[in-house]
Amino acid sequence: MNDGFLIITNNTLVKEKLGENYHVEYEDLSYEDTLRKVRDRVYLGHKLLTHPLSGSVKPNETPYKSVMISMKPGELDMRSMEIIENAIHACGKFQFKSDKYKPEVYDDFRLIDCTLLESALPSAECWT
Amino acid sequence: MIRLEMGHIFIKDIQFAAESKIEDGVLYVSEEAVKEIVLEDEKIKSVKFDIARPGESVRITPVKDVIEPRVKVEGRGGVFPGVIAKVDTVGSGKTYALKGMAVVTAGKIVGFQEGIIDMTGPGADYTPFSKLNNFVVVCEPVEGIKQHDYEKAVRLAGFRVAVYLGELARELTPDETKVYETYGVMEGKEKFPNLPRVAYVQMLQSQGLLHDTYVYGVDAKKTLSTIMNPTEVMDGAIVSGNCVSACDKNPTYVHENNPVVHDLFEQHGKTINFVCQILTNENVYLADKMRSSDWTAKMCRFLDLDAVIVSQEGFGNPDTDLIMNTKKIEAEGVKTVIITDEYAGRDGKSQSLADADPAADAVVTGGNANQVIVLPKLDKVIGTLDYVNTIAGGNEHSLREDGTIEVEIQAITGATNETGFNYLSAR
Amino acid sequence: MSKLRVVHYINQFFANIGGEEKADYPAELRVGEVVGPGMALAQKFGEEAEIVATIVCGDSYFNENLEKAKADILGWVKEQAPDVFVAGPAFNAGRYGVACGTIADAVQEELGIPAVTGMYVENPGADMFKNKVYMVSTKNSAAGMRDAVGKLAPLALKLAKGEPIGASCEEGYMPNGIRVNFFEKKRGSQRAVEMLLKKLAGKPYETEYPMPTFDRVAPNPAVKDLSKATIALCTSGGIVPKGNPDHIESSNASHYGEYDITGVMDLTEETYETAHGGYDPVYANEDADRVLPVDVLRELEKEGVIGKLHNKFYTTVGNGTAVASAKAFADEYAQKLIADGVDAVIMTST
Repeated sequence: MNDGFLIITNNTLVKEKLGENYHVEYEDLSYEDTLRKVRDRVYLGHKLLTHPLSGSVKPNETPYKSVMISMKPGELDMRSMEIIENAIHACGKFQFKSDKYKPEVYDDFRLIDCTLLESALPSAECWT
Repeated sequence: MIRLEMGHIFIKDIQFAAESKIEDGVLYVSEEAVKEIVLEDEKIKSVKFDIARPGESVRITPVKDVIEPRVKVEGRGGVFPGVIAKVDTVGSGKTYALKGMAVVTAGKIVGFQEGIIDMTGPGADYTPFSKLNNFVVVCEPVEGIKQHDYEKAVRLAGFRVAVYLGELARELTPDETKVYETYGVMEGKEKFPNLPRVAYVQMLQSQGLLHDTYVYGVDAKKTLSTIMNPTEVMDGAIVSGNCVSACDKNPTYVHENNPVVHDLFEQHGKTINFVCQILTNENVYLADKMRSSDWTAKMCRFLDLDAVIVSQEGFGNPDTDLIMNTKKIEAEGVKTVIITDEYAGRDGKSQSLADADPAADAVVTGGNANQVIVLPKLDKVIGTLDYVNTIAGGNEHSLREDGTIEVEIQAITGATNETGFNYLSAR
Repeated sequence: MSKLRVVHYINQFFANIGGEEKADYPAELRVGEVVGPGMALAQKFGEEAEIVATIVCGDSYFNENLEKAKADILGWVKEQAPDVFVAGPAFNAGRYGVACGTIADAVQEELGIPAVTGMYVENPGADMFKNKVYMVSTKNSAAGMRDAVGKLAPLALKLAKGEPIGASCEEGYMPNGIRVNFFEKKRGSQRAVEMLLKKLAGKPYETEYPMPTFDRVAPNPAVKDLSKATIALCTSGGIVPKGNPDHIESSNASHYGEYDITGVMDLTEETYETAHGGYDPVYANEDADRVLPVDVLRELEKEGVIGKLHNKFYTTVGNGTAVASAKAFADEYAQKLIADGVDAVIMTST
């Protein structure tokens, strides 16, 4: 178990796939509320490790979001705060249609979100 | 000196025929021959081909990639090195390109697939690819295939078809020839002692499945920022594996014909010394962003550059890379102009980018991707309209009863391209 | 087809009545008259539109009798039922610019009639209203009339016809915070190269997307010893001595007030009130300490927590006041505070 970072997610696939080897905190929240949850952690001093707007699939289009933050809180990181606040702000620009897809499409959304997060693992493992 | 001669062969029409050949500016394609090439890959169950010409009442969707056929006639390496041709440094010698046409791969990879090319009507104004004769390849995968295997299969099938068509031009005489010459660092300084030293910083989409770009076959997210000779892209050194965000992703066609490279070459030796192309990525991991942007700025300084143009690819996450690059490069005393696009909301009132900094004081924009457009019903659809309701710019009412489609222009391939490939802008 | 109807608003100067000495000229409606710059406008409108009435109003009159002037003018405009309302152009005339913006905004908001105005970018009216009404960017003096009318007339016609309005750079209006797409004549990469060449040569260039700017003020180092510090109170909440002796405006304040509080231990209902028109004044009027906490500071002074409370406070109304004006006020009174040896300021807002 890598104790350097924590994954905040609303994606069951991330929990299933990565939960055994990494700290994954799953909660059934909306995309935006997942970002808010990350923001609250950032305000507690956790550092943002992956970009909250990872992926070109837009907020309100995909319902899933996984973000990696540092396991231990430290001093408030201003840059993390800026990035997460801007990300939450960006959600409002897109029409909500996360609930408009055929059921099988959600598997694709889960997969894409998971691969986006996984793309950060090699770097995260190296350092943390 | 590195010299590349680009021979242009103008294709004014494409037709199916028994034998593949190019004659009097017409590309004749043997369906059987290209079918065999596509089906080489056992992951592809079946394939259909179609031709869409400018002005025809045709809609191609969902588009995956757009590729210009090219052939390496003289010099090292082959087209798409590390992907189709073996790894070897390209960008010198002689290359022919089939101008006025493209290979377009289309078909569903994931359920929210996007990308529309209309060949006529208002939608055609927004996509640069409506002006081309498009040879469309629609692949069906074998059952049970994983999305990333299928993406790769379609990606490579497109390149194989493009290389096959490009080969048809090998023995032809080009209609037009352009010569691109670049120099080593010392050589360039001696040749143009008084010209400002300019480079092109290209940010490559590199976030994971359907968000990847390959440089000589290497996944860009696994690279450090690096330097290339700008003629290398003309031989297909960079290819797209990016299928998301149709309006501002760079199809392979845009890499081959990179407009910043082209327009900087126009000034090369006259008002500037076009030193090189710097490639950097747009990873998800924030420390990667720090490292890549540090590296980019370091190279700008190391190469004694006076100015750079920075281009972006995609939405959200790359805004942060764009701002990091710009800030750090400007801090090295190197002037920047950046190219981006905007997500200002349907009403145009929201903040356009997810990041900002006063150092980014010279911005070219490809327009607001949230702008809503109504596309008329067209006579023929190549691909399928199944996904129109779910593509990025659409909603559940997108496909309306009268057959028209209401979408945001982010669904249109190349509409707000961030290398400055298109004419759309905003104020 | 009948011509589109236009009502035109101008000040006393452009109506050829007089300059500053006639600025108190009351609002008046001239039906069927085309006055001053209206001639040039009418010429540009050609057969498409006609100015059916001109409203003339002195700049001081408008600003000093805001509610009445506004009500009268709105009534007249409603009566004339124009397809579009044109105010100005005001060029660099500050009060005229504010009047044009105010009345154009009111016509649009309250009557639902499209309105357009024009002025110089540094006119205080520009910052205040460019995001509310279409505002053509003009030169800084009436010498730029031809250019101004050249942009105003076509934009007014488009608005009158309800046609879609293009991007700011196409139509000549000031960027208003709404991003509008359009097709450029050159592709993006070429524009980038041209911008780069200008930037390299130190020539002026115009960014296509100005970064949002935040006026970040770096905090000063902490006050070392509060018990020896002189603390001043300032507010944009409009607290003034009862009766508002300096007539600080309830919105779009044009000045600030400086008031002595030597010996004042508490702001009472009988002695102080707020001039602010942007919030419910009941609680501030009941006890102005709620906005400007003189009572608390006096206690802290007595307890020795702070050295002393400065004997003057500075106040204005932040309600719609232009950023440029607010900056100018503070620049001025900050110098006074420094000269008086004030160590720190508590600035309260509402």
